Amino acid sequence: MHSSEHGLQLLAALFAATGGGQLSRILESLERNLLTPIPLCFLLGIICTRIHGGIKIPKELYYSIAIFLLMSIGFIGGHELAHEYQAHGVATIWKPALATLFLGCVTPITSFVVLRYLGRMSIADSAGIAAHYGSTSAVTYAVANSFVEQSQHPANSFLPTLVTLLECPGIAIALVLGAALSAKERAAKAAAGSIAGIRGPGRESKLGEALYEVMTGQSIMLMAGLLVIGFISTLFMDEKAFQPFYEFFQSKGMLFRGALCIFLLEMGLVAGERLGDLVKVGPFLVAFGIFMPLIHGFFGVSMGHLAGLNLGGCTVLGAIVASASYIAAPPAVRLTLPEANPTYSITAALAVTFPFNIAFGIPIYYEMARWVGAQ
Amino acid sequence: MQLYPLKLVTVVGESVIMEDIAERGIKLGASGYTLVDVTGHGARSTRNVSMSGGARTQKIEFVVSGEVAVDILSYVSHQYFEHYACIAWLSDVSVVRGDQYVKPGGR
Repeated sequence: MHSSEHGLQLLAALFAATGGGQLSRILESLERNLLTPIPLCFLLGIICTRIHGGIKIPKELYYSIAIFLLMSIGFIGGHELAHEYQAHGVATIWKPALATLFLGCVTPITSFVVLRYLGRMSIADSAGIAAHYGSTSAVTYAVANSFVEQSQHPANSFLPTLVTLLECPGIAIALVLGAALSAKERAAKAAAGSIAGIRGPGRESKLGEALYEVMTGQSIMLMAGLLVIGFISTLFMDEKAFQPFYEFFQSKGMLFRGALCIFLLEMGLVAGERLGDLVKVGPFLVAFGIFMPLIHGFFGVSMGHLAGLNLGGCTVLGAIVASASYIAAPPAVRLTLPEANPTYSITAALAVTFPFNIAFGIPIYYEMARWVGAQ
Repeated sequence: MQLYPLKLVTVVGESVIMEDIAERGIKLGASGYTLVDVTGHGARSTRNVSMSGGARTQKIEFVVSGEVAVDILSYVSHQYFEHYACIAWLSDVSVVRGDQYVKPGGR
């Protein structure tokens, strides 16, 4: 397979396009990002799994922190959105929102095409992985947001709204594409008599159910729900009475940052367990898990810049477009495309793309944003 | 004390399929079920969605009549055996207050 060569050429072209001086800036950003507690906690998790260390995060704590992070992202997003709305109406928001929806529709298709035609993977596997890469990872958002805040270039206030917008369309498009093409392929094969009788009659499709699960899943309900709550309460509550809620949830606060460290530690433990599966998924998927995010990240950064986002906003949009879902997408894909092997999609999303984005991707998207002229 | 001879249907598999199996079991005539998280390792463990984000391995049990038990097992095997990490078995059980496990007018 020559895909890894293609990928290397692409990366070389990317670096060449950014110029030599940019390279040292990227390295500086990488250093600034890597030597901070959040990626280091992730690394500790991986190391711990590899050496069979004794760290164990109780499941209940993990779930509690996930709930807290999603609520925080939604609530503060709603709060900032209310301020933006009071100051500019919807004038500054509609373009980034449309750009995000557009990106949410494009990324599953580019992923599918690359996997199917370059990687020669099956329809179900291509669509399953595309669903993961079409959606987004809220934790990658949180880490990217922390990075731009630490770099003194905070993102536009309405970015959490964009995260919510990006979560669904990618999964839906990939699943519909996969289900339709799989059905067509099955019909063609059955007509040719090759697999007649393998699948029993009347096997029920779970597409509708899976999409409903995604729309009403924990990520969307908590983030979108708290976004509305944050928005309404900012508009109607007295500022002093609102303050304690703000302090509890704020993303620059010690609670959020500390919770993120614990969460990343657990993610490191899970990703560490998955590292062994890298051999099973093969070099193409590993290369895909690194280079597809770079391409999607560049789409995100460029579209964000065109839509008027600031430097931090472009960086974060690039990071969320580049990220792959590993919470909302897996069950939806499992229900709709049971033929797809989840080892491929979860390993690529969790053991390749997530660590890549946390360690290297985010500073690279930051430099991409500077390169396209975002301020 | 009177004991009633009934069947215990046990299905162990990916959590994504359990809600459907529970609903279908009730539709087919079970009066209830027990659902628990479990851990373990099987031939298709690598296919299982074992992300900490939600999906995991679960075990569901129904105490039902012989006919309902066969219907549940047929459904599970037809719907899920091909592509999901899932096993199912049937056991004979003797149940106290066995009349509770058969719906009025049911099988």
